Amino acid sequence: MESLRDIRQNIKAIESTKQIMQTMKMISNARIRRAQEAMLSARPFAKKMLEMVDDLRTDVLALPQAPEEAENIASRFFTNLSGDKNKVGLVAITGDKGLTGSFNAVVLRSVLQFLKKNEGKEIYIFAIGKKGRDFLSRLKMKNLHIVYESVGIFPKVSYAHAALLGERLLSVFFEEKLGSITLIYNDFKSLASQHLVEEQMLPFTFHTPASTPKEEGHDFEYEPGLLEIFKLLIPRLIKAHMYRVLLESQAANLAATMNAMDSASKNAGELVTALGIKLNKVRQAGITNEILDIVNGAEALNS
Amino acid sequence: MTEKKLTFNLVTPQKQVVEDLPVDMVVLPALLGEMGILPGHIQTVVQLGMGSLRYKQKGKTEVFAVLGGFAEVSNNVVNVFAEGADLAGEIDEEAEKQRIKALKESLSNKDADIDFELAELEIKQALTRMKVKKRRF
Repeated sequence: MESLRDIRQNIKAIESTKQIMQTMKMISNARIRRAQEAMLSARPFAKKMLEMVDDLRTDVLALPQAPEEAENIASRFFTNLSGDKNKVGLVAITGDKGLTGSFNAVVLRSVLQFLKKNEGKEIYIFAIGKKGRDFLSRLKMKNLHIVYESVGIFPKVSYAHAALLGERLLSVFFEEKLGSITLIYNDFKSLASQHLVEEQMLPFTFHTPASTPKEEGHDFEYEPGLLEIFKLLIPRLIKAHMYRVLLESQAANLAATMNAMDSASKNAGELVTALGIKLNKVRQAGITNEILDIVNGAEALNS
Repeated sequence: MTEKKLTFNLVTPQKQVVEDLPVDMVVLPALLGEMGILPGHIQTVVQLGMGSLRYKQKGKTEVFAVLGGFAEVSNNVVNVFAEGADLAGEIDEEAEKQRIKALKESLSNKDADIDFELAELEIKQALTRMKVKKRRF
């Protein structure tokens, strides 16, 4: 049986852990508002830009293949015929720290599934977040190349981070002739829930089929030319997209921390109550025993 | 017949500055010179340089300083994707002057560890903002 002192110490330890958790929760709570605002205001840019690229798709695909550039630069983003199917890219975004519930675990699980699915292929990894980076660099698979890593950017993601990632992404995409690039991250749904997103980023996928070039309403005028615009537009879009994804992930991370800490401090509270009852019982038992001793002694004297 | 209007959107990576605003006319700072857009304009995609972007709504003109980007005109919808957009009225000339001065100082200091291209770009952006602010329309 535990002594009174042990129980008291236990209660003290749990109380102080609870306090730390509550503080962490409050920190995330304060940060999440800003993260959420940044995320919400970055959403329209990326979304509208994607719509514009969708509008241009028909014209890009209709470009003559004769000048080498057409397939190499523009239509690679849509059809990617010259990409090597045995080379795939993966962008995995996790958090830097633990104590976030299943936030990192779900990403890593689906990363593992991705690796399994693409067994035998050369996989180029872009690891964002310390947890994912550490996990992936421990894997030691021969066909795994970590080509970009970025840690410690949360919770202060800026456009510069997204720009660096986007540039590296494009340069690897072209130099290594990747067949596709997949993105795995946590999407911010609400304060209470995040959901995992696994999407193919390059080549672009659109839900609607490309309209035929002759269809009405699809003759755009370009200033300067379509290819010139496209060459500048794509890096811009990729960076905007990365920026949005990083912000989503950041907000989701904070929300996950908040929830995890909330339930943890609730649990700690319950533990403290349970231990308090136990403490009282043990103390009472001790007192009863002492009284019993005294009464027994007195009885022995009387008789 | 109701008067035709343009629907105007102005977004930057940081935020949506103008959303679905019905306007009469938009003037874009295209790379090759300013470009006026009226309702019924042909579908166009233009690259933007640094300069002033204006829109007219019921005879009133609003001016923005835009720092490069793209614009898409399609079916009377004007979508502008700008690297940065500041409302002319909110530009603080004094602050811009200070910024230019500080940047020029760090540029002339050879030992300073700064990105020269970035600093030059920032000076250009500050100058653009000041120019837009001074111009009268």
